[in-house]
Amino acid sequence: MNDLSQASINAFQLLLSGNAEIWEIISLSFGVSFSAILIATPFALVIAFILAFFQFPFRRVLISLFNTFMSVPAVIVGLTLYLILSRSGPLGDLRLLFTSKAMVIGQVMLSFPLLVAMAHASFQAADRRAWETAITLGATPWRAFFTLMYEVRFGLIAAIVAGFGRVVAEIGCSMMVGGNILHSTRNIPTAIALETSKGEFAQGIALGMVLLVLSLSLNAGVSIFQGKGELQA
Amino acid sequence: MSNLIDYKNISMALSGNTILKINHLAIPAHQCTLLTGKNGSGKTTLLKIMSGLLKPNSATIHYQGLELSWKQAKPYIQKDIIYLHQQPYLFDASVADNIGYGLYRAGESKSAAHHKVMQALDWADLTHLAHRSAKQLSGGEKQRVAVTRARILSPRLLLLDEPTASMDSDAKKQTSLLLQRLKSEGVSIMVSSHEMHTIEHIADRHLHLENHDIKLIRHTPSSNKVTLLNTTKKKL
Repeated sequence: MNDLSQASINAFQLLLSGNAEIWEIISLSFGVSFSAILIATPFALVIAFILAFFQFPFRRVLISLFNTFMSVPAVIVGLTLYLILSRSGPLGDLRLLFTSKAMVIGQVMLSFPLLVAMAHASFQAADRRAWETAITLGATPWRAFFTLMYEVRFGLIAAIVAGFGRVVAEIGCSMMVGGNILHSTRNIPTAIALETSKGEFAQGIALGMVLLVLSLSLNAGVSIFQGKGELQA
Repeated sequence: MSNLIDYKNISMALSGNTILKINHLAIPAHQCTLLTGKNGSGKTTLLKIMSGLLKPNSATIHYQGLELSWKQAKPYIQKDIIYLHQQPYLFDASVADNIGYGLYRAGESKSAAHHKVMQALDWADLTHLAHRSAKQLSGGEKQRVAVTRARILSPRLLLLDEPTASMDSDAKKQTSLLLQRLKSEGVSIMVSSHEMHTIEHIADRHLHLENHDIKLIRHTPSSNKVTLLNTTKKKL
């Protein structure tokens, strides 16, 4: 118990002292996850909208696929990407394995189905009159799409936050395609795993606290947004 | 009286069930047409096809001297024809922003758009609601905002789907007055309604949708309506 208390105090000190290594890990973690979400979100929103508003063959199959992929373990995504990016893999020549770019690709693959599934649910629940009204008032399909996104923004923001939450805390994919290399691909979850295995609890707890604060902030943010949405509905 | 637009051979079926099979539907310019029909007779479907929102199985459209398929005509009719839902959808924004929504499509400058919105608010006696959230309005107020939002775009034909349904008598009167004023400005109007008494006095024609087809029930020449219209204008 004393060890845990001491480790927690050390963790606070590490964070507050501006320890370069810790803040580098935090910065890399956030950079990779933000990049992944920024890349995945626009495509996911367009696909989610198409799935919700248009009828075409295999639409239901696609929706089921996205719902299924949403729960695929990160390590499976990591393994698949590892095989694709490894020297003997189809994209081996790109030499992306064990780089932060590979981590971004992995996190895009992880977050994409979740973003599509959650955004699809939001668009599906949207009032179809919003789309028709925008079109009949002369909006181009793109403008009507942006209008519709604004109308369901609370659900879409919740989807993006959930997507970010999924990738920033995942370890399996980052470990496999990033390799946990210090100053290069070490992010918060892989660093926590490494430090804990070495018995260096202070750094692990410090990074864990960052994730915990992030998780609480994201949840609080989503609750506030959704609350506003309910009030205005 | 020349026709604004002619729809020919409209056919629409869903899951093998015929919904519409109309040989000819003419919309005269500057007139108000009342469309009646039982629930499920296809009134909303017809209005959505006419406005370019719903693709029919087939239709030929004569518009501005051109004979076009529905797909070819879609850009023209979406520019000149506005459809208003039974319960109009107002965007999650202020009343003023809702009314100005369509103005920005043509690259209207902010100041010009603002000026037009203020004029439109005044026209519909909605100035006091300009900054109110549109979601918080009553049904009657929403309908007036929707009509004003359509009018600001100077449509040639306005299609209203049951505009006075579920309204109290005051709201019905106000909506009816707005429609009269629109008609007097030269906008062609087609209104589907069960409440004939609310709309009948401004309607020049009465069409009935039955057995998938349109029947002309009454056509009162516009000249006979002038007296009534002038009387109403004086009241305004």
